[in-house]
Amino acid sequence: MSDRPTSRTRRDFLRTGAIGAGAVTLATYATAPPAAVTTVRHWDDEADVVIMGSGAAGISAAIEASGRGVAVRVYEMLALAGGSSSLSGGVCYMGGGTPLQKALGFEDSTEDMYRFMVAASGVHAPLAKLQLYCEQSLAHFDWLVANGVEYSRRFSAEKELSHEEASLYFCGNERTHPYRELARPAPRGHVPPAKNQTGGRSLMQTLLASAQRHGVHVATGVTCERLVCASDGAVLGLEVRDARGKRNIRARKGVVLAAGGFIHNPEMLKKHAPELFPCAPHWGRAGDMGIGIRMGMSIGANVLHMHHGFAVLPLYPPENVLKGVVVNVRGQRCVAEDSYYGVIGHDLLFKQGGRGYLIVDRNSDYSAPDYRLVAAGEAPTIAALEAQLGLPPESLQQTVTYYNRFAERGEDPLLGKARDYLAPLIQQPFKAYDLGVDKAFYAVHTFGGLETTVNAEVVNAGGEIIPGLYAAGRTAAGIPVSPYYASGLSIGDATFFGRRAAMHAVARRA
Amino acid sequence: MRVLTALVALLSLAGAVLAEPPANAPADTPGDPVRGRQIFAPCRTCHYPEKGYGHHNGPSLFGVFGRRAGTQEGFLYYSETVKSSNLIWTPALLDAWLANPGSLLSGTNMMFVGIPDARDRADLIAYLAQFRDR
Repeated sequence: MSDRPTSRTRRDFLRTGAIGAGAVTLATYATAPPAAVTTVRHWDDEADVVIMGSGAAGISAAIEASGRGVAVRVYEMLALAGGSSSLSGGVCYMGGGTPLQKALGFEDSTEDMYRFMVAASGVHAPLAKLQLYCEQSLAHFDWLVANGVEYSRRFSAEKELSHEEASLYFCGNERTHPYRELARPAPRGHVPPAKNQTGGRSLMQTLLASAQRHGVHVATGVTCERLVCASDGAVLGLEVRDARGKRNIRARKGVVLAAGGFIHNPEMLKKHAPELFPCAPHWGRAGDMGIGIRMGMSIGANVLHMHHGFAVLPLYPPENVLKGVVVNVRGQRCVAEDSYYGVIGHDLLFKQGGRGYLIVDRNSDYSAPDYRLVAAGEAPTIAALEAQLGLPPESLQQTVTYYNRFAERGEDPLLGKARDYLAPLIQQPFKAYDLGVDKAFYAVHTFGGLETTVNAEVVNAGGEIIPGLYAAGRTAAGIPVSPYYASGLSIGDATFFGRRAAMHAVARRA
Repeated sequence: MRVLTALVALLSLAGAVLAEPPANAPADTPGDPVRGRQIFAPCRTCHYPEKGYGHHNGPSLFGVFGRRAGTQEGFLYYSETVKSSNLIWTPALLDAWLANPGSLLSGTNMMFVGIPDARDRADLIAYLAQFRDR
């Protein structure tokens, strides 16, 4: 108890973490305790559904609610709407035979999609959410298209979407062992065509325009500060603040917390996700301060997966480097090099202590120095490289000898790397790139958040639903868990469960 | 006029620094570009400094020092604030801005949490300065 910060110190560290964010006055990062409705003298404004945050989750909720004929308010803390979603790649993970998959000649089924997602999620798989997400994936595709999202009829065979005109690709670990044996692989990364991975900007421009057509106004520069609760714990509204001061907003049907994760709140990060803290970059817009999560916690909401995160170590492109081997500090291979880069990052960060090397020969090297990685050693023999790196004697030599023996035949009995990425490492110079957390480019953000039902209702620590409170996107513990096994899971989850929140709230009899 | 405003803002910032060291003071030794690579990593959420990589969510930062703010060709998403600022990016200006992003260019579309540590800023600037035509 003694080390629990008082609200005063909590406010202080949150302020320190903020250090101003562009033009926006972010003086208030504190999550104040909830207000009892008895202290609210009057409501300054009211609507059916009141939404905190204007990223993919908040805007999807706003469109869905508004489309069902109810009054909506959306509050965005920053000066610009769109959230971290608008800085993302804009990929949405969808399958089961979408019109785009079919048009491009790919077969897929809901069962294959579900089997893959469950297997790749591992022990943390949120089964009920995954089932619903897969069953309704085709309808979700139609919803995005109906709201103006445009996909081109072009497939890209690249592991990372660098093709600016393509809209469909294998965006995750579908073709990696053992998943390719468990479920028929299909390309499920759906992305609006965009240059330099700015699909997120395009996606959010489209969804924001649709929200506007639905009559939704996004109020920017407005910070949500407190939940207003009834004596029985039901959420009745929000206290917000902007340049004009404090206002109480009544939510007749529900409040949706869609305020992002907590990657930009260093104290929360150190406490809940210490593996992610030393990584650079912390990936997301300045609003990812964990404010929505803390507001939920302040009224007893349960949290899940708080240490989980997106940990992308982008070794590729180019894909030829994946013919090299990724080893830990014992000189042992630890993850199939053709894995999705979130899976490689996860393995090194969470299982190998944030240390390791990519070992390449002349044929599998990068063609030019690259900002993502720095060389840790270069030598004419593997033995000399092993000594340079200070690896245990003969460890790397054994690893490479074993790897080469099978790679020559196109086999990888240890990790099952696909044939396309197998080649013996024989051409000197041999090089090692440092995959240490303090040296390599690890893009990270958080997956932990409020526990929710399949209807995005927030659940308290006793397992009961908190009436009137919803959460979606990275404010909720959703479909993305560690390891992150495919691009588009986070945006897919945010858009889908943002809609679920609105559907349930609109139908709710408060 | 805006240049003047910005100058006043900078000078008042400098004044504040003199009165109350060292929080946001520029570092007094040259930056380390090698260390700066990692400090710059968060900027890559939106910016490429490499020649030929083009624009990302934000404009390319190739050759940024000496360039007038808001003038990278082909970047369509500048705020009016930046376009009309008449500021020239220099290491000193970037240092002051990164230390306190709210201090000038209020209304920019660029939103981030700032870099409070002077050493970090100096290293970042040294790294960024490498990306230019020689």
